[in-house]
Amino acid sequence: MDFFRARWFPWAAFAVAGAILLMIALVFQARAGGERVTAAALTATQTIGYQAPPREAPPNLQRGTPIALPYSPKPFASVGLGATSILSLPTQVSWYWVELPPRNNNGRHIYLYIPRRKSDGTLAIYADGRLIHQTHSNLQWNGSNQPLLIAFPQTDGSEPPRSLQIRLQHVRGIGGALSSVWVGDYRQLAPRYSVRDFFQVQLPAFSSVAFLFTGVFGLLLWFGRRNERIYLLYFAMSAACFVRMLHIFLGARPLIVSDDWFGWLTVVSPYWMILTTHLFVEELHQRRKPILTWTIVFAGSGWTIATLPGLLDPTLISVPIYVSLLFVGLIGAANAIVQAVKAHSRVSLLMGIWCLVTIGAGIYDLCLQQNLVNIENVYLTNFTGVGFTLLSWYVMYSRYSDALETATKAKTDLAERLALREAELTASHAQLREIENRELLHRERQRLMQDMHDGLGSSLVTALRAFESDRAADIDAVAILHGCIDDLKLTIDSMEPVETDLLLLLATLRFRLQPRLEASGVKLVWRASSIPPLEWLDQRHALHILRILQEAFTNVLKHAAASQIALTIHVQDDRVLVSVQDNGKGFEPSSPIRGRGLANQKSRAEAIGAAISWAPSSRGTTLILSLPITKSLATI
Amino acid sequence: MSIDDAAPAPLKVALVEDDAAFQNAFRTALTTAPDLLMVGVAATAAEARGMLCAPPADVLVVDLGLPDGSGIEIIGEAHARWPTCAIMVATTFADERHVIASIEAGASGYLLKDSRLETIAEDIRTLHAGGSPISPRIARQVLMRFRPDERSAATPESDAATGVPSLSDREKETLQLITRGFSFEEIAELMNVSRNTVLTFVRRIYAKLEVRSKTEAVFEARAHGLL
Repeated sequence: MDFFRARWFPWAAFAVAGAILLMIALVFQARAGGERVTAAALTATQTIGYQAPPREAPPNLQRGTPIALPYSPKPFASVGLGATSILSLPTQVSWYWVELPPRNNNGRHIYLYIPRRKSDGTLAIYADGRLIHQTHSNLQWNGSNQPLLIAFPQTDGSEPPRSLQIRLQHVRGIGGALSSVWVGDYRQLAPRYSVRDFFQVQLPAFSSVAFLFTGVFGLLLWFGRRNERIYLLYFAMSAACFVRMLHIFLGARPLIVSDDWFGWLTVVSPYWMILTTHLFVEELHQRRKPILTWTIVFAGSGWTIATLPGLLDPTLISVPIYVSLLFVGLIGAANAIVQAVKAHSRVSLLMGIWCLVTIGAGIYDLCLQQNLVNIENVYLTNFTGVGFTLLSWYVMYSRYSDALETATKAKTDLAERLALREAELTASHAQLREIENRELLHRERQRLMQDMHDGLGSSLVTALRAFESDRAADIDAVAILHGCIDDLKLTIDSMEPVETDLLLLLATLRFRLQPRLEASGVKLVWRASSIPPLEWLDQRHALHILRILQEAFTNVLKHAAASQIALTIHVQDDRVLVSVQDNGKGFEPSSPIRGRGLANQKSRAEAIGAAISWAPSSRGTTLILSLPITKSLATI
Repeated sequence: MSIDDAAPAPLKVALVEDDAAFQNAFRTALTTAPDLLMVGVAATAAEARGMLCAPPADVLVVDLGLPDGSGIEIIGEAHARWPTCAIMVATTFADERHVIASIEAGASGYLLKDSRLETIAEDIRTLHAGGSPISPRIARQVLMRFRPDERSAATPESDAATGVPSLSDREKETLQLITRGFSFEEIAELMNVSRNTVLTFVRRIYAKLEVRSKTEAVFEARAHGLL
């Protein structure tokens, strides 16, 4: 279906999926209820290091500085940032006192929902002065990005809480922010909590895990196709992204690594993301930008090494790291856009633009992190990360479908080329055969012409001259014409296929000559033993053999005055010997009368690679025609 | 075809030939032979058909190239109307194609047109006496036609069932010796039989060739749904 194959189809699918997600979220949100509390009082106490929260909230918190939630203290550079141990850090305890609106006790569980907070250290929540909840995670990477939904304890005869005390302990000058708080039953607060949790935690988690999975697929692909580095880079990109996203959904429970290592991974991984993305773009467009690459590598590895655990604390100095990161990312994004425009690649352009959007989102997130904007907002880079996942998928999908298309096209091309080649071959073969046939026809024609000229033609001319001369009465016109007809018959016989059968050829000769021999009163003794087929015996050879023997018989009839001719055919070694023996008076081979005929026989024998010899004696003459059995002995 | 050399009555010979020269030569050859009597001459196929309505001759000589039709058809019709008549095809070269087609139509021999006049009379006598001539090439062609692998189910039994005759070993041997150039006398000697037996073999071979071609025609017709 063309519809599914259209270029815009994946985009439309993404858009529809996004719209459905948003709609579900809105429907959820619309069903939500509960009461939002924004009035609070803040009491801050300066401390060193981190202490466990007290069993009960100290009294008089109600008299702290009145503030409106969400509240975020303006950050400032703390004097103790250089402290090597977390225990000697200048910290601060911020107590938030919140008066809750009065509620009727309808028997339902009452819940507290805190959308966001910004703090390190332990979060302790007290209701009416009594501790009801306390986080138990790492100090720095404690999942404070994740919304909190807890139930107030409900005991026999307990009343809905009237006030809330929230204790945050954090590095002085950083954090200590709290969003507004919500109170209500589960049905009222769960939709709010779920929607925020989904967008703030689950969605980025899902997307980065999914990205990593496709990255692993790319890695496996790369194992098989080592020269296609793009698959390895795709995996590296997904891995860096996954590492970066860990802090979004981890941390609510204690981490298996120390804050130092986790902070290091989280803060420097964006450099690795930028580096891998840059290399991916380079590979995609096959355009190297060594200076930019080295800049990113230098900045990235610089921070990576500088913030190794035991050196600088990446968590505390994340601001300058992120600022330089935004700068490097900006250059990388600009390069990606330029490359995409040069390569006329829409998806790459989109990716470059998305990089810029991410940088914008990064600036915003930096402000959010620094409590410069409403802390109830969410980190936007989480969503741009999802967008990146989708874009990367699209790139790989395009690559994959292009490859499939190329393969299909190559197959079709190959088949077409093959068919073309086959047609060419057939044509050239046909042409060759035609040339061969023409050649064969030509040779055959020449052979027949030569034969007509030497045989029939010359006999007829002889007869004509004889008729014209005054010797007309002396000549046997009938004999001459019979000779001509015999000639003609042998010519025709030579054109019939003999298929390597010499005996059949000689039998035909006998069949033709028999009437003449009978008329002359000469007895023919036929001694034909079986002989192997002569592979080389074709029509040209056949005619030469017929003519040689015809001449032999004619000579015997004309000159030898013999009463018997014996024709013997037998095999001797690798040759077939045909001998014609008469009991006539014999002859002198050098005599001029016979000379011409013998020379003719000899040249014919040579032409077919045969040997001819005569053994004249007083008791007759023996002609021996010796023919090779195999082709290698015959000259063609 | 009774062998009746002693009979005083001359052989009745008819000729179908459009060439006046050969007609004359033929006539001359027969006039000099008192035992041969020319009973009819036809120059066209139409005339030949008219002649076939008359009482049968003993020997019929047919030329293949008639102005109004094929001599093969005339041979076929003559074989049907005059079953006792020995039919010869008159040919110059005794070429396989024409001779075998004629034999299949019912001829039992051929006459070489360039033969000497005495030979023509002799050939007619020989044929009437049951001696069919056969050239080495025709012998080979016949052997090829009866090759056992030519038909898919050519076992003797199936031959018997379908009515397609096959050659006996003696007949095959005769044909093979002919292709090697041996004369009837020499073959008789080599096979330890009389010359007449060899002639009988050849006559039988010709008869089988004719039956075979007719059976084949029936097969063909069946295969094409005509029968």
